[in-house]
Amino acid sequence: MRPRLRFLEPVLVERIVEEAKAILSTRGVLVEGPMVARLEELGLKVDGSSGRLKMSSEFIDSGIESAPSSIELFDREGESHALLEKDRVHFVPGSSALKILDRETNEMRGPTSRDLAEYVRVADGLERISYLSTAFVPQDIPQEVADAWRLYLCLAHSKKPVVSGAFTAHGVTRMARLLSFFRSGKEELIAKPLAIFTCCPNTPLRWGVDPLQNLVECAEWGIPVEIVPVLLLGMISPATTVGALVLHTAEVLSGLALAQAVRRGTPILFGGAPAAFHMQLMTNPMTAVEALQVFCGYAQIAEHLKLPSQAYMALSDAKFNDPQAGFETGIGAFLAALSGINSVSGPGMLDYVNCFSLEKLVFDDEIVAHAQRFIRPVGIKGDLPTGELIDELVRENHLLTAEHTLEHWPEELYLPGPMVDRTNWDQWEERGKPSGRDRALEMIEEKLDEYEVDPLPDDLHGEIQGLFHDTFDGKLEMPEY
Amino acid sequence: MPDYALMNQLVFEGNQAEVKSLTEGALDEGRDVKEVLEEGLIAGMKVVGEDFKRNKIFVPEVLLAARAMKAGMSVLEPLLTACDGDAQRDVIVMGTVKGDLHDIGKNLVGMMAEGAGFTVVDLGTNTSAEEFIAAVREHDALILGMSALLTTTMVYMKTVVDAVKEQGVDVSVCIGGAPVGPEFCDEIGAHGYAADAASAVQLFKRLVAARNSG
Ligand code: B12
Repeated sequence: MRPRLRFLEPVLVERIVEEAKAILSTRGVLVEGPMVARLEELGLKVDGSSGRLKMSSEFIDSGIESAPSSIELFDREGESHALLEKDRVHFVPGSSALKILDRETNEMRGPTSRDLAEYVRVADGLERISYLSTAFVPQDIPQEVADAWRLYLCLAHSKKPVVSGAFTAHGVTRMARLLSFFRSGKEELIAKPLAIFTCCPNTPLRWGVDPLQNLVECAEWGIPVEIVPVLLLGMISPATTVGALVLHTAEVLSGLALAQAVRRGTPILFGGAPAAFHMQLMTNPMTAVEALQVFCGYAQIAEHLKLPSQAYMALSDAKFNDPQAGFETGIGAFLAALSGINSVSGPGMLDYVNCFSLEKLVFDDEIVAHAQRFIRPVGIKGDLPTGELIDELVRENHLLTAEHTLEHWPEELYLPGPMVDRTNWDQWEERGKPSGRDRALEMIEEKLDEYEVDPLPDDLHGEIQGLFHDTFDGKLEMPEY
Repeated sequence: MPDYALMNQLVFEGNQAEVKSLTEGALDEGRDVKEVLEEGLIAGMKVVGEDFKRNKIFVPEVLLAARAMKAGMSVLEPLLTACDGDAQRDVIVMGTVKGDLHDIGKNLVGMMAEGAGFTVVDLGTNTSAEEFIAAVREHDALILGMSALLTTTMVYMKTVVDAVKEQGVDVSVCIGGAPVGPEFCDEIGAHGYAADAASAVQLFKRLVAARNSG
């Protein structure tokens, strides 16, 4: 059996879902912007004076029914890459930080395109980072196209699928066109998704102009959407777990149902980034223990509804790669893995998803290895009954050369990479007393050396860059990367 | 003589009804509006601010106190507007800039500023330069507060600052939000930056004081 964390009574899960649906049918969601007309064309009734759209239980149920329980992601070449379903857990770097922690100076600064390309080259080689994300936003490109630009840099340097999202109302169209260059067209992009996009409702229960347009356009392009409400417990959410779960679930289901109304079968991840609200500092820690409970709780609800899940976990709100960063990321990664979350966005992220660190990413890759190993199914492996093994141990004083050990230890006993120090004191001194930071920096250099991905053909670069030039009437100066 | 110590305590406790009735009582006794405002309400909020800084009370208590202060203000407001200009409350026009929907931080700044005695005109999210300027003119605002949380939208702050300058609007422009900082503030020629709601209020007070003395 696979180790698993479930702490909501099944009846409570059902009550939360029922209450969420009741909220949607009685209060509905506020929908705004030009896409409201689109929803009305689809037969949805938006109240003219309040702008609210009430959703019946049948409408929600039909949405849940048509949303796939399994999402397959394909790489840039169209090869199958990852299957997001059941209890398969994947970890991806957190997305869209404003800053990076410069690995030479250990100071926070604004990122460049070169930094992003470098990140992709490192992340591409990290074994447990299942696919990529547009981890931070280069500042050397006009910001109105920064969302698409970072997606381009990812796809130019790695074959892996990418978690991303648009920053403006019109962002999805440009980004979807960019993705479709890697397929024969829209149909093939729908059949073989290359990216997941984040869409965030505005808590409470509001699909504002940009998010609604993004959601509708993702659905039209068949781009899998992770719906990510950001509740701040006690501020824009009930402070308690169950109340927060009701609001969170209502928001996810509202987005899911809208996307299904636009195009049935749109892949949806039941996502989230709940945080506590710090009643003194007014910050929003996603690693707060109460937030962790909401994350794990909604994972159980997603499982109940047979929907793939996503979460902003396995990250830290610390400023640097210090003990706080280690403990927050480690706890988050284990809880996410134990909750069976299919796509965990977090590794590399610091400071309330504001700052990305490459050092942290290579360290987190090791945390992920631990979490993934912990959730391997536990079963009998030639060790029950156990008498003969004990007899051998007593006879030989050890089991190092026992047939059972030889057969099982390579699978059972994990030897961590250099990010975890398992030397004794003298061994460590002999090796020149490397600090965690030294080891991370070395690892980054190693990954950069090992990096090998076929470059994109020149004509494809040209076509994609054309998208950016078009926006600026050919006057855009491409940053170097 | 009204019991200002009691009034301060009731503001501190967030007791709206009592604060309102004591404020009315003080006026009935014929006390000066400015005196009631300063000694009854603002002095109470001052303790609130200090205790908040010392971690003795938290955001909810501050907002409850601010609400009680507002209840008292509702009594004083008509009289204040009627009397001479400088006793009127200072107005802040606040909004999240165009293209941006993040408003949690902006709302907190607004609530805290109201608690400190400012009148806050909240323009909501997705606010254009024209809307900011029109509201500043309409309400005779001393401060224009802008919030942005996206790298795509922070650049719009410069558009607003430029428009304010071009149109010769006399207002102090303050900015805040995760992607911006003091350097960016200088770069775009805004007048002040603050990292959180508590320091935002300090900033507003400083700017208003500087305007009054200058
Ligand atoms: C909550 C949140 C949301 C909520 C917003 C809800 C709401 N009603 O505001 C939702 C889920 C809707 C959302 C949506 C999006 N978000 Co968002 N969001 C956040 C998050 C996690 C927290 C922001 C917050 O509320 N913090 C708590 C408050 C209290 O703090 P604050 O805002 O910093 O405010 C304080 C100070 O800055 C200051 N202050 C603020 N304003 C002002 C003004 C003045 C005048 C002064 C003096 C001071 C001041 O005082 C405040 C109180 O102390 C941030 C990450 C982060 N930690 O900042 C991302 C973040 C800002 N979002 C991000 C993104 C990408 C988005 C989306 C584009 C995602 C998408 N693809 O759909 C959309 C944007 C849609 C749009 N057009 O605006 C990115 C930005 C990336 C970038 N490079 O620009 C961030 C950094 C997260 C990330 N890494 O992905 N988001």
